[in-house]
Amino acid sequence: MSEYILEIKHVSKYFHGLVAINDLSMKVKKGQIYGIIGPNGAGKTTLFNCITGIYTPEEGQILWKGKEIKGTTPFKIAELGILRTFQTIRLFAEMSVAENIMSGRHIKSKQKWYNGIIHTPAYYKDEKENWEKVGELMDFFNLSEYATIPAGDLSYGIQRRIEMARALAAEPELLILDEPAAGLNENETLELTQTILKIQAMGVTIMMIEHDMEMVMSLTEYITVINFGARISAGLPAFVQDDPVVVEAYIGSDEEDEHE
Amino acid sequence: MDIFLQQIVNGLTIGSLYALVALGYTMVYGVMRLINFAHGDLVALSAFVGLTVYTQIFGEGITSLVAVIAVFMFTAAIIAVVGVLLERLAYRPLRTAPRLSAVVSALGAGLVIQNAVMLIWGPNMKIFPSEIFPSTIWEIGGIVVTFTQVMILGISAMLMVTLFFFINRTKMGTAIRAVAIDQDAAKLMGINVNRIIMVIFIIGSALGAVAGLFIGAYYRGITFDMGWMYGLNAFVAAIMGGIGNIPGAMLGGLLLGLFNAMITGYISSQWAETFTFILLIVILVFRPTGILGETVAEKV
Amino acid sequence: MMTKTSMIALVLLIFMGFFPMFVDSAWLAVGTTFLVFSVVAFSQDIILGRAGVFHMGHALFFGLGAYTTAILNVQFGWPILATWAPSVLIPMVCAFLLAGPIIHLKGDYLLVATIGFNIIFIQILENDVFGLTGGPNGIFGIDIVRLFGIQFASQTYMYYMAFILLGITLFIMRNLDKSKFGRAMFYINKDEIAAQSMGISIRYYKLYAFILGAGIAGAAGSMFSVQYSAVSPEAFNVTQSIMFFTIVLVGGSASLPGVLIGTFIMFVLPEVFREFATARYLVFGLAMILTMILRPRGIWPVKFGNIPSFLKKDVK
Repeated sequence: MSEYILEIKHVSKYFHGLVAINDLSMKVKKGQIYGIIGPNGAGKTTLFNCITGIYTPEEGQILWKGKEIKGTTPFKIAELGILRTFQTIRLFAEMSVAENIMSGRHIKSKQKWYNGIIHTPAYYKDEKENWEKVGELMDFFNLSEYATIPAGDLSYGIQRRIEMARALAAEPELLILDEPAAGLNENETLELTQTILKIQAMGVTIMMIEHDMEMVMSLTEYITVINFGARISAGLPAFVQDDPVVVEAYIGSDEEDEHE
Repeated sequence: MDIFLQQIVNGLTIGSLYALVALGYTMVYGVMRLINFAHGDLVALSAFVGLTVYTQIFGEGITSLVAVIAVFMFTAAIIAVVGVLLERLAYRPLRTAPRLSAVVSALGAGLVIQNAVMLIWGPNMKIFPSEIFPSTIWEIGGIVVTFTQVMILGISAMLMVTLFFFINRTKMGTAIRAVAIDQDAAKLMGINVNRIIMVIFIIGSALGAVAGLFIGAYYRGITFDMGWMYGLNAFVAAIMGGIGNIPGAMLGGLLLGLFNAMITGYISSQWAETFTFILLIVILVFRPTGILGETVAEKV
Repeated sequence: MMTKTSMIALVLLIFMGFFPMFVDSAWLAVGTTFLVFSVVAFSQDIILGRAGVFHMGHALFFGLGAYTTAILNVQFGWPILATWAPSVLIPMVCAFLLAGPIIHLKGDYLLVATIGFNIIFIQILENDVFGLTGGPNGIFGIDIVRLFGIQFASQTYMYYMAFILLGITLFIMRNLDKSKFGRAMFYINKDEIAAQSMGISIRYYKLYAFILGAGIAGAAGSMFSVQYSAVSPEAFNVTQSIMFFTIVLVGGSASLPGVLIGTFIMFVLPEVFREFATARYLVFGLAMILTMILRPRGIWPVKFGNIPSFLKKDVK
């Protein structure tokens, strides 16, 4: 088995004949924090959607621990240990914070089909353990005081924390964060950086798209830069930062619209 | 072979009626994402209004073209007004509510119209005047075609072609399409969404009204609760074609009409609806959004 | 300490428990049917209110249960008690076979497909395909429940049997809501993409909802056929399905008190106003519109946040 937990090999994805991802390859090591940057509309979120099974790329391979996962349905991807957050927050808005995080426990819960109808001692044990885990996560993300509040009623920064808690509740091996700092203020971003490092320390591999360069440069160990669906640069943060191709892509794309 | 051709004529006739009604469903759905369950009852209402307009205002026995056109125009106008009122009172207050709330409101509105018809015109079947169209019959190679059928086919085709050009070639049509794709963006571009929705209800209801009058003229017997049956068939036609899609409603209507006629002609009318729904479900299993419907991927 | 809701529930329970002592047989029958319809409405609510599937053909499963009991009893001479299990299981199997191929359809497409199943079911009954359903007239002379020589024949017995059935249904609903299955349905209902990304199989849980809902509706159907000792197609047509659909939305999706209120309004009130037979459905339609405008989420909307108390300790 290779040292890479996730390998993306020559992946291409088209929408109505237009190329969204073009022959993209990258390798993520276990335990790494891997950054993906690029101008708006470059295909970053599309890549995440391909990894998590929401889209199926037309060409190439996506290998998870050496096994092809391209075309696998999203819920099976989650069962494999790949969990994500969304650029446009997708919480269960009317449900409480605790219930939102509990959704992450779904794949860990051992309840049998008949437990939806009748409860057994094993059910009570399982239910209690999962809610306790939710409690731990709420403590970890400082969410305990909002436990019963509908997630949709809370501020943007708190909602981002709930989304991460929800994904983490599933005990992922790979956590995919799609612009986790978007819309956060400076304090919240700093807090987020600390949180991400703590998550890494638990042994979770992290892939993230982020526009906050300061945060990306300080957190990530390896970066791939995408523009027009293709890789234009890759390497250590310090290298990528000074790569003239990258600088050009960012300056040349100021006019681009958000289109992901 | 004669049965086959005869059933094609009959199928195209009923299919045109389904298509006219289906257009009302599909246009409302396209803009509001709402199944207007009251639409079928508007069609039934139209037949009764037409009956009254014809007998009370113009007097029985008048066959002059002018009078018939006047009945159609007048009835369509009344039904269009009812359609606009329906939207104002029952749907507009629910535009931001959960989608199913508007569905319940539509079901309620259907009950109101249906029972109003029953209270006004009575629970028994009424007979639509036969003399509204000449009783001319043509026989072409063993196939019987009535004047009414020719009128239904001709007028429906004309209305549908007109609608097609209106939607695709005029400024208002472009605005309608814009609102169907993205209401908020259309609003930002200066399109008056409320006005567009009003236009949709006027057109949809008027087309339904014409269908209602034709149903009266073609089948003669009209009942207060017949809207459910015609509405359901037309709604199925709209779904088959891909709801929200205007050519889809036309295609779905004609297809369903022909299919129905073949089942009635060759198998049995007792099983007509069963076969209708089997066809629908088979279509949906292979094309989950209907024949011409597009799959719109949700943005993630 | 009791919450306001559980106080109301207790009062209601006592009232419903003693209800047969206050009323004549006509109203007792209305009471029994109210209980049976509540059970059907709850089972509809599993599919519509919880899993969020736009299902408008639920009378099909209700009818399947009723006809299973009727056919096995009248045509094959089974005792009523022996028909209970098949009247639950047959609707469940049918739910799996029918919903399986269409469960991936988007909201309104699925709605019309379920209407279709209901209409096909009615045509099969009316055309008496296997010579078992009695055609448009249905089946008469269904037996009563007999156990250890006791004959549960009176309307009062019927009432209490329906009462127990409702109790069992509420017990299942509560268990469902407090399990990963009930929660998964809610997650799917609120956001399918987010739910999938959490590892929840949309297909599995929607089918689970369908099968469970069909089973409960089947049990109610069996009870219904015994109460009236007859079944006929029009009791299970699309109009009935629309009623169950509306009950859930008028009362409040996924809300236990809401569904009871919905059943009361949609079934008992029209019975109360029977004298105004001609005008009542006009008023009724107006009331449906008005209810939705004033209470778009139903009269008694569901409240989320039902979590273990140890998690609430920090909530201010």
